[in-house]
Amino acid sequence: MAVPWLDVLDETIGACTTLNRPDLAERLREKRARQLDPKLRVLVIGEAKQGKSQLVNALVNAPVCAVGDDITTTVPTFVQHAETPSAALVRSSAARRAITDTPTERVPVAIDQVAKEVSAGHSGEVVRAEVGIPRALLTSGLVLIDTPGVGDLRSAHTTSTFTALLQADAVLLVSDATNELTSTELELLKQVMTSCPNVTVVLTKTDICPQWRRVLEANQAQLARAGVSAKVFAVSSALRLRAAQTGDKSLNVESGFPDLLACVQRDIVAAADQLARRVVAVSAASAIQQLVAPLRQELTVQNTKRTEDTIGALHEAQRRVDELRRRSARWQTVLADEMADLVSDIEFDLRDRTRKILREVDKTFDDADPAKGWDEFERWLEDNLTEAGTKNFAWLLDRSEWVAEKVAKSFPVYREDLLPGSIFPEDVLERISTIERPNIEKFTISQKLFTGLRGSYGGVLMFGLVTSLAGMPLINVVSLGAGALFGGKSIKDEGDARLKRRQAAAKNAAQRHVDDFFIKFSKDCRDAARHVQVSLRNHFSTLAEELQETLLESARSARRAVQDDATKRERRTLEVRQELDKLVELYKKVQVLGGSQVALGITA
Amino acid sequence: MSLEAKVWALLNEALIVYRDSPRATGWLRNQLARFGEPVRIAVAGSQRIGKSTVVNALIGEEFTAGSGFTWYRDGVRARATAFTPSGPQEVPVVRREGRPHVEIGMWDQVDRLIVDWPTRSLRDATIIDTPPTATSDQVYREADAVLYLMRHLQDVDLRYLQAAHENPIARVSPINTVVLLAKADEIGAGRIDALSSTKQIARRYRREVRVEPLCQNVIAVAGLIAVAARTMKPEEFTALTALAALPRTELEDHLLSVDRFVGNDFPVALAPSVRQGLLERYGIFGVRLTATLIRQGFDTQVKLVTQLVQRSGLGELRDSIAQYFTDRREVLKARSALLALEVVLRAEPKPAARKIVMDLERIVSSAHDVRELRLLAALQGGRTRLPAALEPEASRLVGGLGTATQARLGLEYEADETEQRYLIADLLARWREQAANPVLDQDQRRAATVVVRSCEGMLSGLG
Repeated sequence: MAVPWLDVLDETIGACTTLNRPDLAERLREKRARQLDPKLRVLVIGEAKQGKSQLVNALVNAPVCAVGDDITTTVPTFVQHAETPSAALVRSSAARRAITDTPTERVPVAIDQVAKEVSAGHSGEVVRAEVGIPRALLTSGLVLIDTPGVGDLRSAHTTSTFTALLQADAVLLVSDATNELTSTELELLKQVMTSCPNVTVVLTKTDICPQWRRVLEANQAQLARAGVSAKVFAVSSALRLRAAQTGDKSLNVESGFPDLLACVQRDIVAAADQLARRVVAVSAASAIQQLVAPLRQELTVQNTKRTEDTIGALHEAQRRVDELRRRSARWQTVLADEMADLVSDIEFDLRDRTRKILREVDKTFDDADPAKGWDEFERWLEDNLTEAGTKNFAWLLDRSEWVAEKVAKSFPVYREDLLPGSIFPEDVLERISTIERPNIEKFTISQKLFTGLRGSYGGVLMFGLVTSLAGMPLINVVSLGAGALFGGKSIKDEGDARLKRRQAAAKNAAQRHVDDFFIKFSKDCRDAARHVQVSLRNHFSTLAEELQETLLESARSARRAVQDDATKRERRTLEVRQELDKLVELYKKVQVLGGSQVALGITA
Repeated sequence: MSLEAKVWALLNEALIVYRDSPRATGWLRNQLARFGEPVRIAVAGSQRIGKSTVVNALIGEEFTAGSGFTWYRDGVRARATAFTPSGPQEVPVVRREGRPHVEIGMWDQVDRLIVDWPTRSLRDATIIDTPPTATSDQVYREADAVLYLMRHLQDVDLRYLQAAHENPIARVSPINTVVLLAKADEIGAGRIDALSSTKQIARRYRREVRVEPLCQNVIAVAGLIAVAARTMKPEEFTALTALAALPRTELEDHLLSVDRFVGNDFPVALAPSVRQGLLERYGIFGVRLTATLIRQGFDTQVKLVTQLVQRSGLGELRDSIAQYFTDRREVLKARSALLALEVVLRAEPKPAARKIVMDLERIVSSAHDVRELRLLAALQGGRTRLPAALEPEASRLVGGLGTATQARLGLEYEADETEQRYLIADLLARWREQAANPVLDQDQRRAATVVVRSCEGMLSGLG
């Protein structure tokens, strides 16, 4: 695989090593490793039974995703490149866990079994399936993610799809040609657009629909009307798979897949390559700048040859190192303060949201009887909590980015690669356990009878005694009437009391559940925030160390220049010039690579 | 007194109580008139799900879909009435290219179209094609029974059905809905076994806890194939036979996609327009299926049509309609009337109507026919299982083969009253025993109780 930026990066790393800067070399090597393994997540989403899994299968020409006539895909399947075919199911052993834990266990399965395992539907523990197969399409780091249908009854599916959406680089929205885009699909498309603008609509099953051209046109018109700028491709997975079996090239063209693949290659993979080149260019350029600074220093010192100047330069270098140390303390304070603020704000926001939900619950159960419609309530609560959580978390991500920018501003110098690429942990949103059903006591007939008797007993006795003064027997019309009245009243009272108790129990259960949710989720958020903080601190302190090293190196070379004798000095000057020439050459290459025009400010 | 008679009496009583309210009287009179009509079956579902196709399959004609509610009922001659904002208008019905066509012409805003069409299929039932925009409330108020079409169980479908059963009376008697998995031919990308696969899915839905309390049955139907089969033309059959005569692999190649099928290099001398026509009428799956069937030996038009009607699920649909809807006309009519009565009682409560409210509640809570229907559906859907020998008998006794005493008892000859009485008494004793049989579980004992009640009903019917 010939990647132009790789050579340039390797050359820069070589220069770093020869110029005695192992720290820079190390950092670039890390970058190199990261860029060599870029994960490009392409999410395949859509409503149930549109042919999502079959599309993924047809894209990679292998039956890796479960396909069936009934609802089949229950967990996401990640299809990525691997030298040898392999597959694994990822299970989570416990429902509750913090993000920082080593999350899950991977259970390897045979590759021809993975589809069956996914459709087997013991989805309670299996979080996702991972498949690795050798395909040219995937070598650029493309990961195809097949998801369960959105809008499916089992809402857990949908949640996992949206979690995956947070991490997607591109989205293929699948809709079959039997029908135009429905309003729910358009809604889904718009929702997806907000978190991932790189969306392509794929019209599947063109082999069985005589009307697919009309549907295609209608869909394009509909997208245009909705103001969505997404491309639409019509494909037939069945034809493509058949073409793969028989090796029929023309059939493959008919399937419409070449166009789709070209689009994926062009818009998604190529765009990612562009991004990689830019990242490499920026970091290589900054490394070269740092290499150049001491050399230039040395040259100027050797040119002047005067001791006082040299000492002055030494002092200057020393002063700048001190300055840097002082300013480092400042950005560290900024980071710590901002993160503390962020955590407390996020927590308050979450508390506020859950409180609102609880208030709603209280209001509901002031009137409603929890014995009826508990299931519905449960679903409502679950939906609301998920929404609150998602919103809260999105806010956390926003704020973290803002903090990163703020810290970068208070950092002593400005550099192109000042902002870290990614600071967020993966796999952050987890589901919480289900709410437990409160013990709902019913008022049975026998209980009613007993309560009624107990109430009427008092009535009979009371009025019987009074009327017996009037010479009537203890059990008479009046006392019996009063008994019936008292009995009825106590049944009603008891019924009311029981309803009150039920409502209280329901409120309690809801409260407990919301509390659980709050504790669990705020812990997750705090963990995420801490993770962000740690990665930001690491990032900026590495930068600071590099700067310091550069300054120190400048001071050292200045000192060396003073100590060296004349002949040595001349030789050294020559060496330095050569090195500088080389670096300038390299820097030009970097500039070509990134297409950026960062002036180096030196000439050989 | 039968359920029908009780409800009839109650409606008349309500008419007297509400004689001073013209709105209520009009409403109730409508209900009384509805009582004598055939069962109204509405076909409902979301947009482009194939409602009109199913309607056409049931009638056996290819009507073009209208925009509003379209009623198809039996009539002496073909005619149609369009209800427009400016009053009802009679519009002509003509045949064009073998398809009946309602000339709505200048009436562009038709709320309701009533088509009288003389055919045997409409003798026992009036079929209503509904617009996709109609709410479940509108549809269920219009019709006595509903065929609800969906592809897969989705939230929208469930909400629709739930909304229809929100009313307390409707909830205790969910006997008027049959769910159809429409477009069975599009499942599994038109594979040749798509229909049997959809039938399996239908079977699973029948026992699904969320669906079960909302409908009587779930049936897989391929509407396109059903219509095509019922209206097959001789020239179509010739074309299909010509296709089936091709070697299998060669034909398969050309049936891979719709584009290939209508493409230019076709091995059989069939004009592209003919092939396009076949595709529109049968779909790619239909062509695949018919070719296979003809090759398997269903090589006359009659044989082929019979096979297609059965395979498309239309046969099963007709059986279900007969068993649950048209045979139970009285129960469904009574149920609709009770629901309508409840609307009046709720909208215009008055002290004098107190007795009617109570009577209504009593009828609803004690209606045995409703329980019979539910048990029948449970037995046939496999939700309730009885020991092997008992199951067919129970199903027959609660009216699975017809509601006449003769049919319930499974007698093939005219038995006199004494013999019937003797038979029923024997059955009654046996089923009473089952109702208290400790080996059976609660569900089974409850089923046995319903059978006992049916036997008692027959016995009292003998007088």
